[in-house]
Amino acid sequence: MRRFLDRHWYAYAMVLPVVVVIAVLVLLPLAQGVFFTFTNINEGNIANPVLDRAATYAVVGLDNYLHVLSGDPSYGSFWSTLVRTLIWTFGCVFFHYTIGLVLALLLNRQVRGRTVYRVLLILPWAVPAFISAFAWKYMFNAQYGIINQVLRAVGLPDPVWLGQSDWALVAVMIVNIWLGVPFMMVALLGGLQAIPGDLYEAAEMDGASAWQRFRHVTLPGLQSVSSTVVLLGIIWTFNMFAVIYLITGPNPNTRILVTYAFERFFSGASRDYAVASTYGVLILSVLLVFASVYRRALRKQGEVW
Amino acid sequence: MRRTTLVTALAAGIAGALTLTACGGGGGGSSADSGEVTFWDTSGPNESPVFAKIAQDCATKGGYKVKTETVAFDQALNNYKTAAQGGQGPDVFRAEVAWVPQLAKLSYVMDLSGTDLAKDTSDFLETPLGSTKYDGKTYGVPQVTDSLALFYNKKKLADAGVEPPKTWDEVKAAAAKLGGEKTIFINNDAYYALPFIYGAGGDLVDADAKKIVVNSAQNVKALETAKGLLDAKAASTALDPANSYNNMQAAFSGGEVAMVINGPWSVADYLKGTAFADKTNLGIAPVPGETAGKGSAPVGGHDYVIRQGTKAKDSAQKLIACMSSTESQVQVAKELGLLPTRKSAYDNADVKANPIVSAFQPVATAAHARPWIPEGGQLFDPLKIAYADVLAGKKAPKAALDEVAKAYKDQVVTEYSIG
Repeated sequence: MRRFLDRHWYAYAMVLPVVVVIAVLVLLPLAQGVFFTFTNINEGNIANPVLDRAATYAVVGLDNYLHVLSGDPSYGSFWSTLVRTLIWTFGCVFFHYTIGLVLALLLNRQVRGRTVYRVLLILPWAVPAFISAFAWKYMFNAQYGIINQVLRAVGLPDPVWLGQSDWALVAVMIVNIWLGVPFMMVALLGGLQAIPGDLYEAAEMDGASAWQRFRHVTLPGLQSVSSTVVLLGIIWTFNMFAVIYLITGPNPNTRILVTYAFERFFSGASRDYAVASTYGVLILSVLLVFASVYRRALRKQGEVW
Repeated sequence: MRRTTLVTALAAGIAGALTLTACGGGGGGSSADSGEVTFWDTSGPNESPVFAKIAQDCATKGGYKVKTETVAFDQALNNYKTAAQGGQGPDVFRAEVAWVPQLAKLSYVMDLSGTDLAKDTSDFLETPLGSTKYDGKTYGVPQVTDSLALFYNKKKLADAGVEPPKTWDEVKAAAAKLGGEKTIFINNDAYYALPFIYGAGGDLVDADAKKIVVNSAQNVKALETAKGLLDAKAASTALDPANSYNNMQAAFSGGEVAMVINGPWSVADYLKGTAFADKTNLGIAPVPGETAGKGSAPVGGHDYVIRQGTKAKDSAQKLIACMSSTESQVQVAKELGLLPTRKSAYDNADVKANPIVSAFQPVATAAHARPWIPEGGQLFDPLKIAYADVLAGKKAPKAALDEVAKAYKDQVVTEYSIG
């Protein structure tokens, strides 16, 4: 042991700061958050050194989990919220990916003014999310918004987009898709340009049709990029807070797990840290399960990362 | 040898980290006054310049500095709580009346009982003054008081030959002459449900009996009345809650609808609109009720509070004393038409002559008191969703209110009983 340390002390000394930083910044808060889920901690009983107040919260065992997992409406209707979160996540990522791929394929060709298109298409991503959110909120205004004015003008029904119905979820999904496509497009464009051109030439020589070239050359060539951006997209979308909250606020029809955790943690209603942490732990668990399944599926296809 | 250096370095590092956290937690113990007051103003862009100017004048006279920061009203409580919890934030805060008991209970605001601010309060109106008290102590000074009233477009009503309605049935009857849905705009926010609820004899909670009464028969009736106006095409609403308030303001000030229910703070918005280029066209009447004369709107308003742990205790108190003085209140009433909380301010000739103040004064005096309990401000979030659901026809009033009662029981007033 002594010899081992003598030989490798330098390496350990180099690693130590990282370990300490991760422990302090990641592991400690995480452990604290998990601990909170077993208590009834809230704004009123948390310790506050600034105000010279000691903690008075109590351990309540699994109560929070029982309340949340029973799907009780006053604890956020967990199961229907989870289903809504999944619809939101996979709906958004599906359209991010497909629209992003189509745009990337178009932009990968030699067209005049390619750079201009690229810059224009990346713009939604460059605009701060809250500005886009407020702009869309105006456009979705049921009475004065441009979207409904256009719909009325062409004689289509004009729904109350951001009201108490599932249209609200559709509306925020449209905004999020609009926001997320540029990233997918740029990432996939990079992937497309990394596919060697001679593969296409060889396929063409063998008489492959355009669809066959896409199916058997482009898609496999994109696989490593795709798997990464889709995983990232799913995690980001699952935890996407700004778009939903800024556009619809605390509306149960657009509630996903993170927005409800925020409502419990920060909104005036209760500042219930315990329930919010419980949601946090449940969100983390869902994502961990998903990520490990996803990785295993990829490993089966021979992908390593 | 090498290992000892490492251990020492590590120990030093940990000790350093501990000192750092200790520093972050402590501080704030000194009683010396910094002479710089940060004031968080939650009033809108119409009113804020006036308050900022008064604060500046007070500071110049009093010999301290003041920095006014405007904070969006709907974010203010949240931001204040987060900041105060960490020992940060403004020194003086303009808190809505329902927030004060809550902030007092969580000890985010200073107990002012022993100070000059709590000494002579006989000049203040009873109801606003009540909001500054919690547990027998004083935590704030009333800034302005308000209530909701019926605003109407005088010309439209006169052209249609309609008197300002006193009951909801009269509103329905007037709709035939005022263009159906263009008669009144109903904002689907919780606070704007209160005139319906109080007017029907209902309430949210009974604080004395420690009971949740939000799902009472009266309240069900109240929400049915509100929904009934929409169903009878006698009222319109923006069914998207996020846009509701702005659409109401646009519809009324643009002359599209004839009536709205709102508070005195909205007058400046209306007067900018095309329908009220002639100021005298704006009529103000008490809110309608189930029966004539039984209309009832909630007491609103704002108080000045001082943050617990402020470094400018003395200057903050001086600023509040100056800003809540009769002269300052008169100035606010004259320039903005907001209702003073001091009786003496109403004696001023200019205040008396202000049409908004004189129209609102009887409304505010007759307004329905709200329970001054710490949870008072938290009662709105669940009600807001239920009210929007009911108006959108997604839920029946009874079912929606039962859910609100359950949410109150689970999250807000856990020690109360339902019923």
